[in-house]
Amino acid sequence: MHDAGRGRMARRKLGASAKESALVEYASKEPSAFAEMLGGLIEANVRASAEKRKDFDALVARVGVWVTDIDEGVTLVFDARSLKVYNGLEAQRTITIRADAETVMSLSNLKIGLFGLPVYYDDVGRGVASKLLSRKLQIDGLLPHIATVNRVTRIFSVQ
Amino acid sequence: MSVKAFSSDWAKQFKDEVNKSAAYKAAAKGWKWTVGLVIEAEPDKNFPESRGVVMDLFDGAARDITVGPASDAQSCDFVITAPYTRWKQVATKELDATKGMLQGKLKLKGDLPTIVRYTKASQEMTECTTRVAVEWPDEN
Repeated sequence: MHDAGRGRMARRKLGASAKESALVEYASKEPSAFAEMLGGLIEANVRASAEKRKDFDALVARVGVWVTDIDEGVTLVFDARSLKVYNGLEAQRTITIRADAETVMSLSNLKIGLFGLPVYYDDVGRGVASKLLSRKLQIDGLLPHIATVNRVTRIFSVQ
Repeated sequence: MSVKAFSSDWAKQFKDEVNKSAAYKAAAKGWKWTVGLVIEAEPDKNFPESRGVVMDLFDGAARDITVGPASDAQSCDFVITAPYTRWKQVATKELDATKGMLQGKLKLKGDLPTIVRYTKASQEMTECTTRVAVEWPDEN
């Protein structure tokens, strides 16, 4: 059995006493449920995997995630070894992912294959690729920032 | 025949639906944690006391599903909490459970990577709740 509390959504605020050990901080005193969920997921992933930690420590990017069917989003500001999560979309994003809730969740289920690249040939990968082609999943900034997209995908992935 | 919402009869029918679901069996392979649903009281909806649904789920099957006090559900590995009305919305397909969690309408406690890994299983579990015919206390 795992420790069910281990991955509980982190809700650390700026200025908290545990700031030095916090990987994820929230810009708002009242982070949205979606912000807490993404922040908590990333923190749990990074703490559980040395490879994800390496990606996290190297990542400098402003990543927007907009969930089209709930009209909510966040901006993840990765700054090498830390992440600050904003409610809503902030300016000057490196990439912006727009998709419905189910697709956003399926991004977290992409497997990572050879050379750290997402796997697009299994069921989940084909589903994601098909949504990209049909533009149900849009990633603004994909082509100029493909390495960032892959790194973010690796950090998101729970597989 | 319909059963009273979140009663022992409901739990039995819900368990039967889960165990009939080939989709759940496939999607939940490897799952080995208990899940608690806390249904918070809404006296004005004729649901005066909070209840807990404890689901003992293992490797694609429901070994047991019981209804008792909310505290029983709160001690499970994963706990999803919402007021009665929200659960009714989920069971009547008015609210998608995944969206509900992202919006904070359903509050989740537990290891996030694990629950995300089993998103399909939780969606199918929700489908199973919608297959149980229910008498809702606020519709009597």
